[in-house]
Formats: sequence, structure tokens, C-alpha cells
Amino acid sequence: MTDPKIEDDLSPVIAGMLRSAREFLAHEHSLFRTLGMKPLLVGRGRTSFSLSLPPEFAEETGAIHGGLLTIILDSIMGLTVYTALDELKPIATVNLRIDRLSRAAVGDRVVCSCETSAIVSEVAYVTGKIIAEAGGAMLATGAGAFLVGTKGNVGGSRL
Amino acid sequence: MTRDFDISRARAAGLTAFGRWINFSIDEDRGGLLYALGFEERHIGNPGIRSIHGGVVSSFLELAAQAELSARLRGAPLATATFSIDFMASTRAADMKARARLDRLGRRVAFLEARAWQESEDRPVAAARICIRIAALAEKSTPAP
Repeated sequence: MTDPKIEDDLSPVIAGMLRSAREFLAHEHSLFRTLGMKPLLVGRGRTSFSLSLPPEFAEETGAIHGGLLTIILDSIMGLTVYTALDELKPIATVNLRIDRLSRAAVGDRVVCSCETSAIVSEVAYVTGKIIAEAGGAMLATGAGAFLVGTKGNVGGSRL
Repeated sequence: MTRDFDISRARAAGLTAFGRWINFSIDEDRGGLLYALGFEERHIGNPGIRSIHGGVVSSFLELAAQAELSARLRGAPLATATFSIDFMASTRAADMKARARLDRLGRRVAFLEARAWQESEDRPVAAARICIRIAALAEKSTPAP
């Protein structure tokens, strides 16, 4: 699947940014290229992505280190904040809380789905979860707070 | 004063594919363990401002906490149960250091805090709290394949 399902409830500016970021994320961004990110749904304040868990992220038991799930949740929760905005603004993660429920194996594919609960006083509150694509086991749940409109390079906002 | 930790067990905890991806290393100083992330291009989260990905900083502090606990236990399997982190300052494309503190070691869970910095230790970029389950690997909740 190469064409993300960008829903028409997104701000046109944000939808355009996501479309133009697609190629960059898939092929040029080192971390995201490694994870083989494929969009399943991109709507206003809600997204779902399929990702792979490559061997670079294994721990000694052969399972995937849970830190990768934190990396994935931080990335997709941040992206989900963008989908809820009306105009492009830089964002920054303020904090994250991750619960680890099950282990995943190298090579598994997972689905990470996130939702922006609200944006209040320039803080976006997001929740997310990661489930195994095969079997549907819940691997991790997360919650994050993101500052919207931080100083910095808008063009390089964290995607 | 006798040391209550074994740096070789801490190092073993970081000697994994993921530890190499993070470029994780451990030294001993001031009677404790000092952790380092050697910067690599793959750690970049935001190419525009060239900051380290928040999830990478999180993973570095989780590895530090796991190593700190491993140094005090004799090979018990560990699994992070919960993890939380505050990002207090922006990061730059450079090495990062951390210390971890074991707040409470129980029979089944341990509670730790880990702090990371780049320029100086009194200007932390992130602080994490980690709850680690001890000897819990057999209790997978994943359905059998």
C-alpha cells in the first residue's frame, strides 16, 4: 500500500504537508525508512500506521526491545497532533507515558493507532496503542503531551 | 566501601542489537555508573533542527535504567512495565550522557529514575521514571502462535 488514506476532514494546509512529506518519510528519513511505515488512515486528529520491527532493535532474548515501541508511539502521536491543526506549526514532545503489555518478535508487523484528545492552551493531548498485526495482541499503550507552536524551524517540524 | 554493583553485568545488558543501534556505552565514575549515547545520524528525529528523536532519548534512558538494575541483580530477567519521561530541553545532534538511580528494589518490581544531559549534568534534557518487572519473562500475555 503506497497511498495513504488522507481523509477530507483535514485542514488543506496540513493535508498538503502530509502528502509532500510522504516521500521524504518513506525513503529519506533514516529512522522511518528503517521502520517501513505504511499509512492505513490519516484523518483529523486520528491516524493509523502499519510498521515493521526490524532486527536492529532486538534485545538479547531475540525479542524486540520495548524502546522501539516508545520510538513508534512518540513518532505517530506527534504526527497525529499535526492532523488536528488548522495551520502548520512546529510541535515538541513535552512528555510521554508508555505501558508495556506484551513483547514482540523481530520481523513482526504492528499497527500503531493514535488519537488527539484535545488541544488546550497550546498543549495537545494524544493517546495511542500498538497492536500486533497478526493475532491482534496489545503490545503497548501510550499517552503524550505536545507543545504546539514551539520556536524553531517550521519546515523541519518533527515528522 | 564495597561496591554494590557489577559493571560487567550492566555492560552485558547493553550488548544487544538495540544497544548497538543506540550506540550505548557504560563507564564508571564517582563511584557510580555513567551511561553514554554516541550520536549517530540515525538518531535524528527532526532533520530541520537536527534534534535527537524523543523516542531515542527515551530508549537511551530505559537502557540506562535496565543496565543500572542489571548491575545489582544476578541475571534475573527484566521487563519494563511502565515508562514515563519529561522532555525538559531541546536536544542537538551530539553525544548524550545519563545517570540512573535505583529508588526501590522490591522482589517483583524495581523503581528507577534516569536523567540525560548533553552540555552539563546540571542542565538535564530529559528525566524518566521506569518501573521494571523482575523475572517476568515467562508470563507472556501474547496468545500462542
